[in-house]
Amino acid sequence: MTHSPPLPPWLRFPKTILIVLTAVTIFFFLKMTANSRMETDLDEYMPKDHPAFVYSESAEDKYGIKDGIIIAIENPDGIYNPGTLQKIKDLTRELQDMPEIEKTDVMSLFTADNITGSEYGLDVRAFYNRVPTDSLALAELRTNVRSNDMVLGRVVSEDETVSLIISRIGDDTFSQEFYQRIVTLADDYSGPEKIYVAGRPIVEGTMALLGPKDMVRMVPIVIFVIILVLYLILRSFRNTLFTLLVVLFSVIWSFGLMAYLGIPIYAVSTMIPVMLIAIGVAYGIHLYSHLELFLQKNPQADARLAVSDLVHEMWKPVTIAAVTTMVGFVSLITSEVYPIKYFGLFSGFGVLVAMVFSLLMIPAAVLVFGLPRPRKKITSSTEDTAAQKFAHAFAARLLQRKYVTLGITALIVILAAWGTSRVWINSSFLDKFEKDSDIVRTDTFINQNFGGTSSLNVILDADSPDAFKQPEVLRLVDSLQTRVTRQPKVGDAFGLVDYLKRMNQVMHADDPAFHIIPDSPELIAQYLLLYEMSGDPENLWKVTDYDFQSANVTFQLKGDDSKTIQAAVAGVADLETEFKNLGITLNYAGSGYKALVFSGLILEGQIKSLVISLFLVVILLSLMFRSITAGLVGAIPITLTTLISFGVMGLFNIPLSTTTALISSIAIGIGIDYAVHFIDRYRIYARQTGDMELAIQKTMHHSGRAIVFNAIVVIAGFLVLLFSVFPPNRSLGALVSLNMFTSFLGTITLMVLVLESVNLFCKQTSSSGDCREKRSKS
Amino acid sequence: MKLRIILFNALALTLFLSTSLTAQTMTGLEVVESVYNRTAPQDMQSVLTMTLINSRGNERQRTIHQYLRDFPDGERKIMFFAAPADVRNTAFMNWSYNDGNRDDDQWIYLPALKKVKRIASDSKGDNFMGSDFTYDDLGDRHPTEDIHKILRQEELDGEMVYVVESTSKDKDYMYSKTITWILPEKWYGKKREFYDEDGELLKILTVDGIQAYDKYWIITGMTMHNVQKDHRTTIRLTDIQVDQDISQDFFTERMMKRGIR
Repeated sequence: MTHSPPLPPWLRFPKTILIVLTAVTIFFFLKMTANSRMETDLDEYMPKDHPAFVYSESAEDKYGIKDGIIIAIENPDGIYNPGTLQKIKDLTRELQDMPEIEKTDVMSLFTADNITGSEYGLDVRAFYNRVPTDSLALAELRTNVRSNDMVLGRVVSEDETVSLIISRIGDDTFSQEFYQRIVTLADDYSGPEKIYVAGRPIVEGTMALLGPKDMVRMVPIVIFVIILVLYLILRSFRNTLFTLLVVLFSVIWSFGLMAYLGIPIYAVSTMIPVMLIAIGVAYGIHLYSHLELFLQKNPQADARLAVSDLVHEMWKPVTIAAVTTMVGFVSLITSEVYPIKYFGLFSGFGVLVAMVFSLLMIPAAVLVFGLPRPRKKITSSTEDTAAQKFAHAFAARLLQRKYVTLGITALIVILAAWGTSRVWINSSFLDKFEKDSDIVRTDTFINQNFGGTSSLNVILDADSPDAFKQPEVLRLVDSLQTRVTRQPKVGDAFGLVDYLKRMNQVMHADDPAFHIIPDSPELIAQYLLLYEMSGDPENLWKVTDYDFQSANVTFQLKGDDSKTIQAAVAGVADLETEFKNLGITLNYAGSGYKALVFSGLILEGQIKSLVISLFLVVILLSLMFRSITAGLVGAIPITLTTLISFGVMGLFNIPLSTTTALISSIAIGIGIDYAVHFIDRYRIYARQTGDMELAIQKTMHHSGRAIVFNAIVVIAGFLVLLFSVFPPNRSLGALVSLNMFTSFLGTITLMVLVLESVNLFCKQTSSSGDCREKRSKS
Repeated sequence: MKLRIILFNALALTLFLSTSLTAQTMTGLEVVESVYNRTAPQDMQSVLTMTLINSRGNERQRTIHQYLRDFPDGERKIMFFAAPADVRNTAFMNWSYNDGNRDDDQWIYLPALKKVKRIASDSKGDNFMGSDFTYDDLGDRHPTEDIHKILRQEELDGEMVYVVESTSKDKDYMYSKTITWILPEKWYGKKREFYDEDGELLKILTVDGIQAYDKYWIITGMTMHNVQKDHRTTIRLTDIQVDQDISQDFFTERMMKRGIR
């Protein structure tokens, strides 16, 4: 072991390396700080050319479908008093005056038209203009609301204690500042009435605010814990520093390159540092661990010698690990979702950069600053002997009781497979908040009193004009609305038929028996004309089009989760054939539906990429180790980790979302890393010793040790996120930790056992021809 | 559409003679009064074609036969829909009053329902037949309701016009102000801009057809463009007949039911 290979040529000028790397990093850092741009418009995340999005966007544009900010005013004594009515009026006016809100997009009891009928005529009036003060006028207003189903249960709650003001806003209007103004406005009007603010824009806005804010608070603690644990493990300030610098520099290069190329930071891009921390820390640990073991065996070796050995022994596994990990990430470019493509691309770039840094910066630093200060000789050696003993004992025990491991693994795999079958995707924003948070409680409150805070738009397209003047078509639409509204989580439906039924009743002296679709298409056409002449014609173009060839039905849902939306969609689809027989096709629109399709695409891309990367990893490892068996064995940790990750999500009812789906990428990164280091080291020892059990024991001490260190550091760091106030960040912490743990455990147990049973790397080197034979004889 | 009481005709003529000589020195109010007092027939019948165009370029067309006549207390009007077919013979009657405090009376007749219903509405900003015109835009606003100011004189389509700004005295009026390009001598507005309550441009009215019938100048073509919603309404008048002495009894519920003759 005394003569080492010469120092590789690129390490001849270590100072230059450090200076150049630092300089380029500073360049990227400046690019990053100057050019980085956060993308907050959720529509920018959607694939623009996907048919579902194209359709939804055009329908949104055509019917003015916008998400609404819902302000609820609650007065337990009832809303029919001058004070509350004045507040409804003033709040409506203030909202209408906001530059972000179009005047006609604010709907409240103050803006609503009350169309009533008598034997004699038709009356179109506002419910009130001047706030009524005497009891007679207040009672009349109350009667008017009670008898008008266009507002009762939609604008005023059945129990008359809550009234809504709904302001529809465009997708790109929402800003933190605007959100603050809305909240301040609501506060200003509170007391004695309670004012609630809800609706999708508010939920999205709060999430966009809370998630990153929580991360800003948690990340320094995560990094602090990682530094602390790294230091405890590496016992050297300098080693800790350079291990972290590798990660930090790779993050800066990734984000710097993104900024340089003008690619904005998406919400999923925040997962890039998470990946690079989990993966990048490993490189430093493996290198320093090897260095330490080398110095234990060769206490007299100088820096040059140590570095030569380090680079010679480690460049290959580090490169193989990094390249395969990178391939795993880059396979995400098959996703249809651009933020995911970028995530894969720049995580891959980061991994590559981390590899180059660890192979350049860490050896260069040793050459420039000298070898790490030796630990106290005695404790070090005793402790290390203990560690070595433990590693060897563990390996021996593992091989002796392989059926215990295999049995437990089989059990876990079955359990995980069952769990995986229960995994569901959730595109809900609300579910990301605590059940007792203000935002969820407000939402629940409004859902109890009204149709629902979320919505699904069903767009009906007929093959000929004037279809939506035909009684049989309108009756089918009416029965669709009634049917789907029967679902417990669907609170209300609204569309053209509601206007027509109301007009029919009003024109028959308000007789409720005429709250039906009339029989004559002419009468329907004449009602529509009358509505245009007496009501607000703009309202009609929110539910149908100029040719009456298509219609928009809005369902109010009491939840924005995928199960609720899917149930409503399924309910609508039940009538698809009936509509088809009338020449009408069904489509869906709205932000809730888009989010549903979007998370489906993300998941699809993720699964596609997992399969592709698994395939590529097997090929790459087979090529690198020149053995297909090695390639297959190397895929074990990834497969196991992914399966368990999904299984745990299914078992613990953690739904798949954009972030949780991406965590499975860690399985690829870490799983490959562990497998490569272990297999590579095992190959060396197997060839050296020709004894399989000994090779496994030695590898367990060498690579197993580094793997344990890596797992401990990252798990400790990410467990910090369990104390986060934002549930998605808690899931992130738990799942990253879980993935690290299963990768680690899977590698040193199941993979080792399989490695042993396939008898790899032995035949060609061992003198007796078979390691196993030799072992069984000994 | 303009209908003026005969009584004013003489006055208008004198105004016309005097103002044309002293055009440079006219006040805004005088200019607007000249328009208000333009000679108009006592009764008129015509076929009105209304085209509605939304921001997506979709068009809808309606054909309406309209009859109107001056009464001592105001103006009465009946409109029968001729097309589209499914609303044929739907009739609408409007009685407006010279007394500015009195709301218009309105009736609707739906042939499929065979019933005349009276419509009461409290909003003066109601759109006329779902178009970009409000009832107010089509009626005559009395010059004293606004404060008028001549902004400038300029050339519009080769003709010198007065540009007059009219600001409502009533703060709650739906328009904060209007700016009208008024052609002297014929005394009609060629173009008008309507500004909403926030002072932002809301609509632009362009008059592109005016024809002489007997001694009257009748506007036969105009377009209202709501620039905020990018919605347009074009109105064309054809088959115009003036001073046919339409019977006073024509403007009744009974006639509404009778439909187009």
